[in-house]
Amino acid sequence: MEELAGRIAALDPEAGDALKAVVFFDRLVEGRANLEAIVRGAAVLTGHPARLVDEARHLRIRVTPEGVRQDPAGPADPAWPYATADTATLWLERPGTARPLDLTVLERAAQAVRTTLERTRGRATPADDAALIEVILDDGASGPARAHAAHRLGLRTDVPLRALALGGPCGKVEAKITEDRRANGRTVLPRLPAEDGLRVGVGPAVPFAELPGSWQAARLALRLAADDTDQDPGPSVVYADELGGLAVLAGAVGPETPPAPDVEALERAASAAPWMLRTLHAAAYAPSLRAAATDLVVHHSTLHDRLTHAERLLGWNVRDPAGRLRLQLAFALRRLHRHP
Amino acid sequence: MTVTSSSAERVGPPPPFDPELEAALTLVHGTRPASLTPDLIEAWRQGSAVNEPTDEELSRGGAFEAYERTVPGPAGAPDVTLLICRPVNAPAPTPVLYNIHGGGMVLGNRRMGLVDVLDMALEAGAAVVSVEYRLASEHPHPAPVEDCYAGLLWVADNTAELNADPGRIVVVGTSAGGGLAAAVVLMARDRKGPALAGQMLLCPMLDDRNDTPSAVQMEGVGFWDRTSNETGWTALLGDARGGPDVSPYAAPARATDLSGLPPAFIDVGSAETFRDEDVAYATAIWRAGGQAELHVWPGGFHGFAQLAPHAAVSQAAKAARPAWLRRIL
Repeated sequence: MEELAGRIAALDPEAGDALKAVVFFDRLVEGRANLEAIVRGAAVLTGHPARLVDEARHLRIRVTPEGVRQDPAGPADPAWPYATADTATLWLERPGTARPLDLTVLERAAQAVRTTLERTRGRATPADDAALIEVILDDGASGPARAHAAHRLGLRTDVPLRALALGGPCGKVEAKITEDRRANGRTVLPRLPAEDGLRVGVGPAVPFAELPGSWQAARLALRLAADDTDQDPGPSVVYADELGGLAVLAGAVGPETPPAPDVEALERAASAAPWMLRTLHAAAYAPSLRAAATDLVVHHSTLHDRLTHAERLLGWNVRDPAGRLRLQLAFALRRLHRHP
Repeated sequence: MTVTSSSAERVGPPPPFDPELEAALTLVHGTRPASLTPDLIEAWRQGSAVNEPTDEELSRGGAFEAYERTVPGPAGAPDVTLLICRPVNAPAPTPVLYNIHGGGMVLGNRRMGLVDVLDMALEAGAAVVSVEYRLASEHPHPAPVEDCYAGLLWVADNTAELNADPGRIVVVGTSAGGGLAAAVVLMARDRKGPALAGQMLLCPMLDDRNDTPSAVQMEGVGFWDRTSNETGWTALLGDARGGPDVSPYAAPARATDLSGLPPAFIDVGSAETFRDEDVAYATAIWRAGGQAELHVWPGGFHGFAQLAPHAAVSQAAKAARPAWLRRIL
């Protein structure tokens, strides 16, 4: 005779219903209810949508006061009341000052979430580092979620930080965050995986809150990092804050951009001889042709013979300043096409 | 069909309630006594009136226009009141859900639980006609079921007034209303009455013998236990309850022939008195060559979807109902 009891509805904050909330969530935990049931309880008892987000566990649950699951689209409003449980945050989507009942429900629900997370998913482990870093570098993530992630990683948030983009040989890009350390005026990078073909883009040093921007810049720098092979000679570590106008160039070259004629000319030249690209790279970047010959371990006259051959294939003089710039740009464009 | 007597059957402890439903119970605990006994009928009647839906709630935001109609009752008996809720601006004749309320045969009225039926009708594009039948024990069997049948006859004969499709009338009943709905469907078959498109029996009260394993197992648990059930059936049948001469129109579980019935939808909770008699009824329909869709929702107590509509299991149960309607209509 359920009609006698009516329906379950939001609790009455004036009726001393706080105790009911306590018993309600205790019972959910005893019954081993799932996380959605706990979030639903918070929404139904308060009459406001409730959302649980745990970026470290890739968990997003939002439930309306009618009990309907409707996962979040936008970011959480910093003004909403919330409670935390381990790496998870539970919000009530409620404008204005939270009532004492809301806070009781939040606190009890968050405690139920903590117990349930530990029972069902275990603690967030170092294996989740990638997910935590992802939260910090995502400018769509909320401030509290990003702060939690930093805390879990043991990352200081009161010093300048850099985002690093690590490019593996098969095109996979991983993220790392490092404190900005310098020695003798140079940035000291953290120990990186000893991996053949690893390319690194280094983002600028920024305050914690601006890491998403540093990450964007690091990924852009990564596109200009070379494999450091005969087919792609050049530095494998590139600093975003040293790019200057090349950053503008990188922004202008996307996957759909057709290669400029100079890039095609460079490719043609490359197929003519195995030494071609390294030779041209040395000519473009070394302080002098003598230094270039030393780098390449060839005789000065051999270098001149090679460059004469190359200039015929390319169609321009690479030994005057304008030709060197044109060659440098051709190399930069070629890398942007290789690493879209 | 025969039901094994409780003395021969060993049953385990009650199945656990669904955790969300169990938590919901903590919010309503203490608002009513555990079991209905004859001396409590009057108090329960007054208690149930508190939660009656208002006219505003019945309109479902203006989707329905509601009015009442007094129609002829059974031969020699008073007229019957029908609460008619028609979809506003329906372009073509609509299906009709002919609703019979619950209340253990002894309480409730045409408005009781109607909001859920209207929401279901809204999804199926159907009208709802809810019948006011006389209650036991003041009006024992066959008064309640004959009132329900008289109202159904009027609906079938007056589909033009209702802008309804005579080929798409579904009888819907909850709890005691589910038992009455099943009985009305048997009557329509036996008396060559209106052709019905379906019977939706929501946790129906079907068996006056009140001795299935689930009745024994759930004694003293949930919202309608074995004691309450005995009170309801005794009010309807008096001393005949549980004896050899109970009509299937009073207790459809007594029917020996379930052939030739319209498709049935039956749902029930695993943790309620009616579980086994409802499962048995679906089984008997299949055995007779009929069509039935049976849902036993795990951890559901009697009326769980109505008391705690937010719970995941309630949402699933409530979604299955209009889905079935859409398939048969």
